[in-house]
Amino acid sequence: MSIYKSAVNKPITTLMIFAAIIVVGIYSLMQIPIDLYPEMNPPYISVMTTYPGANASDIETNITKTIEDALNTVDNLKEITSVSSDNLSIVNLEFEWEANLDEASNDIRDAVDRIFDYLPEGCDRPFIFKFNTSMMPIVFYAITADESYPGLAKIIEEKIINPLNRINGIGSISMIGAPKRMIYVDVDPQRLDAYNLTIEQIGNVITAENLNMPSGNVKMGKMDYQLRIEGELSESREISDIVVGNYGGNPVYIHDIAQVQDSIKDLSLDEKINGQSGIRMFVMKQSGANTVKIAKQVHKKLAVLEKDLPPDIKIQQILDTSTFIKDSVSNLSETLMWALIFVVLVVLFFLGRWRATFIIVLTIPISLIVAFIYLFITDSSVNVISLTSLSIAIGMVVDDAIVVLENITKHIERGSSPREAAIYATNEVWLSVIVTTLVIVAVFMPLTLVSGMTGVLFKELGWIVTITVVTSTMAAISLTPMLASKLLRLKAKTENRKKFSYENTIEKILNKLDAFYEKTIRWALHCKRYVMIIALVLFISSLFLFKYVGTDFMPESDESRIMASVELQTGLRVEETMKVTRQLEQIIHDRYPEVTILSASSGSDDEGGIFSLFSQTGSNMINLMMRLTSIEERDRSVWDIANDLRKQMDQFAEIINYNVTTSSSGMGGTSNTVDIEIFGYDFDITNKLAAEVKGKIEKIEGAQDVQISRKADKPELQIVLDKGKLAENGLNSAMVSANIRNRVDGLTASRFREEGDEYDIVVRFKEEFRNSISDLEQITIMTPTGQQIKLKELGEVKEYWGPPNIERKRKERVVTVSVKPVGVSLGELAKKINTELESIDFPQEVVVNVGGAYEDQVESFMDLGLLLIISLVLVFLVMASQFESFAMPFIIMFSIPFAFTGVILALFFTNTTLSVIAALGAVLLVGIVVKNGIVLVDYINLMRDRGYDLNEAIALSGKSRLRPVLMTAMTTILGMLPLAMSTGEGSELWSPMGITVIGGLVFSTLVTLVIVPVVYAIFSRKGERDKKQALRKRFVFMDR
Amino acid sequence: MKAVFIVFNQANTERVEYMLDRLEIRGFTWWENVKGRGSETGEPRMGTHTWPEMNSAVVTIVSDEKVQVLLEKIKKLDEVNKEVGVKAFVWEISQMV
Repeated sequence: MSIYKSAVNKPITTLMIFAAIIVVGIYSLMQIPIDLYPEMNPPYISVMTTYPGANASDIETNITKTIEDALNTVDNLKEITSVSSDNLSIVNLEFEWEANLDEASNDIRDAVDRIFDYLPEGCDRPFIFKFNTSMMPIVFYAITADESYPGLAKIIEEKIINPLNRINGIGSISMIGAPKRMIYVDVDPQRLDAYNLTIEQIGNVITAENLNMPSGNVKMGKMDYQLRIEGELSESREISDIVVGNYGGNPVYIHDIAQVQDSIKDLSLDEKINGQSGIRMFVMKQSGANTVKIAKQVHKKLAVLEKDLPPDIKIQQILDTSTFIKDSVSNLSETLMWALIFVVLVVLFFLGRWRATFIIVLTIPISLIVAFIYLFITDSSVNVISLTSLSIAIGMVVDDAIVVLENITKHIERGSSPREAAIYATNEVWLSVIVTTLVIVAVFMPLTLVSGMTGVLFKELGWIVTITVVTSTMAAISLTPMLASKLLRLKAKTENRKKFSYENTIEKILNKLDAFYEKTIRWALHCKRYVMIIALVLFISSLFLFKYVGTDFMPESDESRIMASVELQTGLRVEETMKVTRQLEQIIHDRYPEVTILSASSGSDDEGGIFSLFSQTGSNMINLMMRLTSIEERDRSVWDIANDLRKQMDQFAEIINYNVTTSSSGMGGTSNTVDIEIFGYDFDITNKLAAEVKGKIEKIEGAQDVQISRKADKPELQIVLDKGKLAENGLNSAMVSANIRNRVDGLTASRFREEGDEYDIVVRFKEEFRNSISDLEQITIMTPTGQQIKLKELGEVKEYWGPPNIERKRKERVVTVSVKPVGVSLGELAKKINTELESIDFPQEVVVNVGGAYEDQVESFMDLGLLLIISLVLVFLVMASQFESFAMPFIIMFSIPFAFTGVILALFFTNTTLSVIAALGAVLLVGIVVKNGIVLVDYINLMRDRGYDLNEAIALSGKSRLRPVLMTAMTTILGMLPLAMSTGEGSELWSPMGITVIGGLVFSTLVTLVIVPVVYAIFSRKGERDKKQALRKRFVFMDR
Repeated sequence: MKAVFIVFNQANTERVEYMLDRLEIRGFTWWENVKGRGSETGEPRMGTHTWPEMNSAVVTIVSDEKVQVLLEKIKKLDEVNKEVGVKAFVWEISQMV
């Protein structure tokens, strides 16, 4: 028994099955989290090794190279890059997207274990760090305070962070820029020398005094007492009264030689939020947790917790990634709703019957809801990709139901009972319905096979469209006939129709359209040659237009935030950096009223931890984060403001370099830049080349933010020790360097405990005795024999320039010049850069490569090209087997080039670049366009078999199939229209796809309607045309 | 006794069934999915892609007086819509076992 017969005969069972699907779907929808993109784990693993005291080139030769060599053989490795800077080596491994990172990190651990013995003695065990998108902070807060500022860290830690951490799904909460309480013992070196003491001695005394010690048990009478010595300091001021030595029979107190300060840590990072001092707090979620839900809970809880804080502490939100997600998702949901309305209107327009419209439209929610079940089963989320997929699918899921219902209506109008009409009419069309669905599946299924980052994004799209379209077909051959048998009635033919009834208005127009189209076909068949020439000219001229369409990787979206990192002269003190920051703040405040929150940090924070991996730090760096008002409330886009900001910064003499970004570069961390990589060992040569390249590129129009990755040489002070003099005094380099470190950087002698928290007690020289070269030379070092000796007698202090970081890629030193395109497309910029590069004379040992997002773009376009070929082949296979003919698929595929003409025209007139997303739209078109052709050609074949003449058959089928073709095309076009037109948050990303599909479909539908019949006629000339003659030849016995 | 051979579009199945019941004709032989085409105007019913529809056929042996009633009803059925199609042919039955 066939599926449609069972469905019609058992209406209640059918209804229950679909009701069950809807219930499961709604349940799934309630469980799925909301996110921006499907979860993707960028295939990056870093190996970090610290080797204290080594400079960049030591690190490179001793550590980075060894680790690179060891890791080069790990499976699935795509590329290996490294940065060697002072004290630290970071080796970054990029894997193929499909690689299993758990396995990879095990391999890495093995490889590191093998070579660990070959690394220098003093280096720490390499640390393997797996990057995950969920490590990116989801919410940023700015916390400002006046009187409470010194104790802010403790207050926030106790009153905010600890309670917030209890929220389910939060990974961690950290803060940067928090003032840290420290107890400094600032020593006067002259007094120290006079009393014949050293920093180390003072440190030891403090350690020894600040001590609690259990000293055993004492049994007295019936009791057992514990014995303890409580020497710990209870107040920081007690340190001043510690006796450190004896001089001339009098005790020497710490207050005699030093000043004890209980204060906050020396300034190295300055955080200002809207000009007020404060700290930044950021929340990270656990992987797989729901960003939107967590952000909401955090806000709610924070509002409650804030009431317990001192009144001068203000908490403001700087950035909430969930708002962008929420807005994008609600924007797309709105788009989906409009699409639904449009589709309903189109169906109603063509059918003119409410009940029929209802039956057809019912397949939409059913098919879409199955997509949610898929998302739930695969642990995915409601995100931009899944919602866009639904937008694409919404116009296609009604097509099958339309075909089935149309045939049922035809049977009913002939007088069959609805029940029988439903069974027999479905029997007639179910096979062709499945074949057209197969064509769509043939285009979308290969999407699930694409590799790389684009693959991660397209996989979900491919699956969702495939699943929804297959579901819609299932519903069309079961639910639709069942409902038709129950709901459709034979319309009584009334004589006196109302003046504005459907039959008197729309149907008349449609009839006229049919007649007009029939005439057009007859005319076109008459002058086939001209039609073909015109079509060819159209196609070729559109190819010329293609030159004016730029190419891009991913469209950028206005996320209402700007981030800028500004670099001042290397080695500048934080205090000086801050001055520039204040000026920048003033400019931003005056010029951009759109900025609601400005957070500025100057300098670096050595406690920033993992966060410092994401932003450059250094005493000369300024990081600005701005949040703007929402898109609707401002006239200038973030790009306008960013451009103006760049112009302002150009006027500062102090600013050496800046980088203004407007996107969170959320997609796997690739920013939208062209990178020119210069490989070469010699620093001088590559530096010079990089500067030359930079100079040339800056002149190209549209090239902005030209950055050289290798930072300018950094001034260093080197103490060059005389080994001979060291030996004479019984010293060695290690002893001297430890001594100097303790005097300059400070010796952490002990920890002061108060209310469960610990604060470092640091002993060091007073600042005025350690801030010039002559001060350093005056440092006294105690020899093992107790002699005092000045540093200048052991060596000299030299000024020296060294590279702060050495970058390597594919095991070779590299300098990257990165360029951001502004106002031009990525592809165009890359082309211009390539011509500029040709004019530079590169020495033989230097290799140059143009990469960055441009490389990804080329890679993705190659993937998409391959995808297009696979789709074409699969579509051909499906069609050839359906028609049992090699010629028919060709006839139909003649419409595909015109779809691309439409795409080019649409992109050209809307001034949109061809991004990966737009190109994807073009690939999808193949399926949608071919579907129209199939409907037409199939019917022409039918008419031919029924014995009509070639031209008559073509004209009649054209007339009869015009409405179904227009209807399916219109539902898809209008379904995508809201996507193409939307202007809200995140729309920049997806509107190109809408534009391409609409442009391609409009144009190709119009062309298909004329070209396909004409091509059919041309192809049928030989053999096909005179079938009777051919048949007669096969049965010659009759005429013999 | 006469044999009445009725060939009809499958879409008429329910009506033919009802007709036989209403006329209290108990005995018949029924073929489903038979092919055929009319001699002059009747559209082919081949069950192919070109001619997707199919016929069914019934032979029933009835008493002479019932033949006329039956043919009248079939005529009425045909007049609902000529395109759908139903035809009836009558034979003489000479012997039965």
